Amino acid sequence: MLKGKQSWVFENRPVIAATGVSGGPFEANGKLADDFDILHDDLWMGQDSYEKAHRILLEEASQTAIQKVNLQTSDIQFMIAGDLINQITPTSLGARTLSIPYMGIFGACSTSMEGLALSSFIINYNGANHILTGASSHNAAVEKQFRYPTEYGGQKPPTAQWTITGAGVGILKANQGETGVPVTTSATIGKVVDLGLTDPFNMGGAMAPAAADTISAHFEDLQIDPSYYDLIVTGDLGKIGQETTYDLLSKKGITLDREKFQDCGLLIYKEGQPVQSGGSGAGCSATVLYGHLLNEMKKGTYKKILVVATGALLSPLTFQQNESIPCIAHAVSIEMN
Amino acid sequence: MGKKAQKTPEQKSYQQLEQQHETKRPVLKNCLRAFWVGGLFCIVGQAISLFYIYFFNFTEQTSGNPTVATMVFIAMLLTGFGVYDRIGQYAGAGSAVPVTGFGNAVISASIEHRTEGFVLGVGGNMFKLAGSVLLFGVFSAFVIALIKTILIRWGVI
Amino acid sequence: MKKIIFFCFFIVTMSGCSHHDSKNSPMSLIREIHPTPAIIGSKESDDIDMLNKVKKDVEDMEELFDVAVIKGEKEILVAYKVKHLQRFHMVKIEEKLNKMLEEDYPDEDFIVSSDFKIFLEAVELHDKMEEDKDYSEEKAQKKFDKIIKLKKEMT
Repeated sequence: MLKGKQSWVFENRPVIAATGVSGGPFEANGKLADDFDILHDDLWMGQDSYEKAHRILLEEASQTAIQKVNLQTSDIQFMIAGDLINQITPTSLGARTLSIPYMGIFGACSTSMEGLALSSFIINYNGANHILTGASSHNAAVEKQFRYPTEYGGQKPPTAQWTITGAGVGILKANQGETGVPVTTSATIGKVVDLGLTDPFNMGGAMAPAAADTISAHFEDLQIDPSYYDLIVTGDLGKIGQETTYDLLSKKGITLDREKFQDCGLLIYKEGQPVQSGGSGAGCSATVLYGHLLNEMKKGTYKKILVVATGALLSPLTFQQNESIPCIAHAVSIEMN
Repeated sequence: MGKKAQKTPEQKSYQQLEQQHETKRPVLKNCLRAFWVGGLFCIVGQAISLFYIYFFNFTEQTSGNPTVATMVFIAMLLTGFGVYDRIGQYAGAGSAVPVTGFGNAVISASIEHRTEGFVLGVGGNMFKLAGSVLLFGVFSAFVIALIKTILIRWGVI
Repeated sequence: MKKIIFFCFFIVTMSGCSHHDSKNSPMSLIREIHPTPAIIGSKESDDIDMLNKVKKDVEDMEELFDVAVIKGEKEILVAYKVKHLQRFHMVKIEEKLNKMLEEDYPDEDFIVSSDFKIFLEAVELHDKMEEDKDYSEEKAQKKFDKIIKLKKEMT
């Protein structure tokens, strides 16, 4: 149901029944390694190209999730997923393997929440019994497309972020009155915000206004305040973006509790890993949410969280043509039933 | 393209705010690192050059070519073993400016696009980064040579 | 990383084993040699005096240190090392030296070079002629011509 200007409330509370999370070698050394179902110790993952490895990440994560709920791929009605590579081919090719009716979406790094919001909406109105949704990214494949070759010795500035290698998927199903399961309760779809930043090595700074816009819209539409949530977590703003978002929200009169305002890109890696400003990529919010955060919710650490995945909707072409970076953020609220 | 769109006041004020949080490039530290790593590369280059002078029939001037070739070869090995990009992150211009940086740009692109095949992948993308260096290098050399020729004709130098 | 270090070490060791004919020339990178002038063929004292004078004149130039002078059939080869901070003015120094030699010794044909390789070869030739009694004049002249050729090659 539409509430306010741009938010949906899901009265039927779709359940996140199971999740599957896969990651690469860099994530295996990170802080959240225990929350991954599958970890690879090689970026190639036994494939002969990074793009194929990317596809494997998504396939494995999906299959793990499907196994966890004791279903067959034929029991899943729809798959809503995406990634960052040209025309989201890794996801499309993964969908070919899984042969689930498929909707490909692109929201850059906000894909995970875009997918979760859409899936929740469809389930909420009985459009499906089970939907698989998720997002993935592969560091080397993304670097290859957006920046320089992997082995190129260019110096990255301290504002740069490290694209994570990983895929996170969740299976949503209609709520049949279960308790003790995470459910999605509302979602806010963001609008594209562009404040004229052009540096592709400073995504966090570019995405911060989009995150702030969506967070404030969410509170306004649902008539709640930040204390409603135990945790507000952004997708991949990194150090710079997170600080900036905090400031922007303070200016709008929304004061967040620093302890309760986290960022997936900062959660995933350890101090000392050479990631400059933090993690990023479509897989960043997906792996952290479907792995770490939902595990924590099941343990009871958090009851209500708001996940705000931010995306920078640029392409290598647009920034070479001096276009500024358009950004977007989508928020989904997840609660324990 | 070309003309930059005027910034709105909102964009300006945001960019000011964002600047406060942006981590600055540590310019002085980068310079020092570039200095010593770049210097180290040059020492290696000098050693190789002397090696050619001592053990082969090369003079100080003709030893330049085999030395450059050897340096690029070493850069190729380091790139292939995945070491050069780490040196690059540490040293910045120190590893990008010497000829090894050029070698690295060519080789990293070739490795990266190996998956698209030899002709369209390696062949087509090898000079993706280094191509513009070659083009503008050759062109500016041509312009400078032209200026020098004219000046010599006029008897200025 | 270890492999790379080992590889470098290997190269250095191998090159150290390489054979050189003269005991002085390999050291000439680090040390000043000041070889005495050498003459191929003639043993006339006039020539030797003249060469000593040339050597002294050249060594008196303050931009230089360490000079090797060798007289062949026709040309006199003057190889020298330029002081490190003066290396920016190498072309000027060469001009100056050429001019001075031409004025002072109009009858002689000089070939001057600041190239380290030429210096190295000159010292080697000098040492060979001095140490090895069997080193024939022909061989020496052949080697001398080779040095001259090397010098011309680079210009």
